[in-house]
Amino acid sequence: MVKKDKLQADLEGLVKKWKDKKGNLIMILHSIENIYGYVPRDTSIKLSRLLDVPLARIYEVITFYNYFKLEPPAKHNVAVCMGTACYLKNAASLIEEIEKILHIKEGQSTKDGMFHLDVVRCLGCCGLAPVMMIDEKVYGKVKKSEIVDILSKYVKEEE
Amino acid sequence: MEKKIIYIRDTDSAQKERINDYFTLFSNELRDANLLEQVQLVKVADIGLYEKGVAVKIIPENIVYSGIKTTDVKEIVEETIRGGKIIKDLLCGKKSKQLRAVLKNCGYIDPESLEDYIAAGGYKALVKVLTEMKPEAVVEELKKSGLRGRGGAGYPTWMKWNFARGMNSPEKYVICNGDEGDPGAYMDRSVLEGDPHSVLEGMIIAGYTIGSTKGYFYIRAEYPLAVERVQKAIDQATSAGLLGNNILGSNFNFELEIRLGAGAFVCGEETSLIASIEGKRGTPHPRPPYPSVKGLWGKPTIINNVETLANIPLLIAGGGTKFASVGTEKSKGTKVFALTGKVKNSGLVEVPMGITLREIVYDIGGGIINNRDIKAIQTGGPSGGVIPQEFLDTPVDYENLGKLGSIMGSGGMIAIDDTDCLVDLAKFYLEFCVDESCGKCAPCRLGGYQLLQILKKISGGNGELEDLNRLKKISYAMQKASLCGLGQSASNPVFSTIRYFEEEYKRHIVDKKCPAGKCKALISFKVISEKCKKCGLCMKNCPANAITGSREAGYIVDSQKCIKCGVCFDVCKFKAVMKE
Amino acid sequence: MKKITKEDIEKVDPSKKDLGKNWIKVGMSTCGVAAGADEVYAALIDEAKKRNIEIDIRKCGCQGACSVEPLVEVNVEGLPKVLYGRVTKDVAVTILERHVRNKKLLHDYIFEIN
Repeated sequence: MVKKDKLQADLEGLVKKWKDKKGNLIMILHSIENIYGYVPRDTSIKLSRLLDVPLARIYEVITFYNYFKLEPPAKHNVAVCMGTACYLKNAASLIEEIEKILHIKEGQSTKDGMFHLDVVRCLGCCGLAPVMMIDEKVYGKVKKSEIVDILSKYVKEEE
Repeated sequence: MEKKIIYIRDTDSAQKERINDYFTLFSNELRDANLLEQVQLVKVADIGLYEKGVAVKIIPENIVYSGIKTTDVKEIVEETIRGGKIIKDLLCGKKSKQLRAVLKNCGYIDPESLEDYIAAGGYKALVKVLTEMKPEAVVEELKKSGLRGRGGAGYPTWMKWNFARGMNSPEKYVICNGDEGDPGAYMDRSVLEGDPHSVLEGMIIAGYTIGSTKGYFYIRAEYPLAVERVQKAIDQATSAGLLGNNILGSNFNFELEIRLGAGAFVCGEETSLIASIEGKRGTPHPRPPYPSVKGLWGKPTIINNVETLANIPLLIAGGGTKFASVGTEKSKGTKVFALTGKVKNSGLVEVPMGITLREIVYDIGGGIINNRDIKAIQTGGPSGGVIPQEFLDTPVDYENLGKLGSIMGSGGMIAIDDTDCLVDLAKFYLEFCVDESCGKCAPCRLGGYQLLQILKKISGGNGELEDLNRLKKISYAMQKASLCGLGQSASNPVFSTIRYFEEEYKRHIVDKKCPAGKCKALISFKVISEKCKKCGLCMKNCPANAITGSREAGYIVDSQKCIKCGVCFDVCKFKAVMKE
Repeated sequence: MKKITKEDIEKVDPSKKDLGKNWIKVGMSTCGVAAGADEVYAALIDEAKKRNIEIDIRKCGCQGACSVEPLVEVNVEGLPKVLYGRVTKDVAVTILERHVRNKKLLHDYIFEIN
């Protein structure tokens, strides 16, 4: 229950900070997303009350932008870049390999909640193509054969 | 004699030993000439030259010789090292073709230090504007400079500013568009991360000129480091009195705030960007009214791209006439490109307008990986088009690229070689645009989807010739009828690939073959028995058990079972697996 | 921070900018960091301290040569200015020992010399 109380306090602080600024909704959602990794429904409902904005308007914005998520994230987010440079350097084969290893498709999480696979547009490291990012760490010039080792590092950390 | 250093570099990495031969040759000659004491020989990985074989650079004179033959070594030692004379025939005439203006500070100053920026001459333009220039004079200077928007469309910056300046409104806004969404481009990110104060300075000058007191940075949330550095720069400038009230004692007030994008490509479009800053869904609105008349919260607003704003301080400090001395008749100044794809030295380059594509790819980029043949250059990302190899000598400017069916765009430049399939590339860009379409207007929402279906049909081996006409018709309708820039230009990649590579489409449609070997449905794998050494590696690695055979009889691929993953092709050490 | 005045800005002459004679700059934009520039930077700071090597170590933005990141630029009195590419933690240490202390260049990592 501690987490819930914290959530409540954070939210009120956030709204206070942004209340007087015009067009604040997206910035508040960014902060929520940064704290929880997604935007929980009950947070949206509270936010709607605090800001005096219809819930539909909040959901309208959440669902429009790719950045906001409605589901809790997995422990590690695996993002494979499919920007033009990575696409040309065959990033598709990396995605196939990860899908094969983790038994999930793009946009899904593993059953144990360990990994989530995302395909993203350009991480801005085209010189290092093909690129994938696990959480905050960027892996450049990734070879298909290296993926097993990279992923198992994260599994070992847990043990 | 002064102590000298000779750097030797071989551009041909295929001949790894050759550089050592030259090294020995030089050291022998130097020993014979009794110069070993005074001259240091160094093998290096790069001296900024890419095509002309073995090259040497002699320090401190900074003489560069390229294309050196073994017979030249003696002469270099005698004439240049001992005699101090330059051998004209060997001299590499080429200076670096890059011209660093916007990027002049990137990589040279500490982006997190205001002192560093000022020590490099920063904020001088702001002082000049605040003390000796009226807003009209700033506009006049911009007009003289010929600066055009670097975000893609190339609209003259002075006109934008002048419209907003002429509007009678107590509230006006300046927006910096840092929503760099083109996959494969990162010019703006590098400027924001490497020299944030230059963009700040440009925005403050813009605010002064149009009579605004508030500006917004709109930056992609995917660029956390850029956001962090810009925020730091804003904080520093505020506490130093370069932002806030009464800036530098001039009675001019201006403040800046960051707003984050949230992963929507369409928000690079002006009216969508405004909606997003207002905290709404980023859907576009019809123009006119243009933002300079009715923009953010209904007030006159100018929106400039990061690179455009970073150009402002140098334009003002040096004067518009000087700025206009670089470039072509209608496109002035420099342009930053993110050169990527199949090019040897990918990276960020800044070149004067009017340089040819060939110079960018070969002289700066070092040519194509594995010395393959270049097939085309893609500029402008999902809104741009391809320029085939026969037009590589075209000077780069807004008009020329437009004539060739592409656009300058924000600066993505992608080299494509003969292993890339253009039908597949068009499909890739279209998938992007269909994904990013906001869905508000029908031409973009439905047209894009239909185009994609037809392309999938073609690359899946089910295309018919009539499909080419269908593609052209839908593309045309989207260009004419879509509401915003995204929809209007979404079909450009399709249009331009058909325009130049219709043959390749026809090979897919009529012969059911993908010449580049990219479209999976159209390729097949085969073991060439003459080359096969019967090692069995292909069979062992095949994930679908589609390869059968034995060490005696050899191996065959069962095309029914084959999932076309290409593992057999990759693992075969004898090139005995054929892809066609 | 103290307020900056017009005169502070006007009196600067960028052509006379003096970086000092001995310095190292590490390219720390996203592309550099992705390739490990933060580790290199940290290693340089730590090791320079540990080894008692006096040199000014700074961060800077992207120099553009993304394919050979991390980039480290080194200026030591008496040697030309050198841009090293593909620098790792170990190479960083070697740069300190060889280039900065012993004034010898590391041949294999030189990317550009001025």
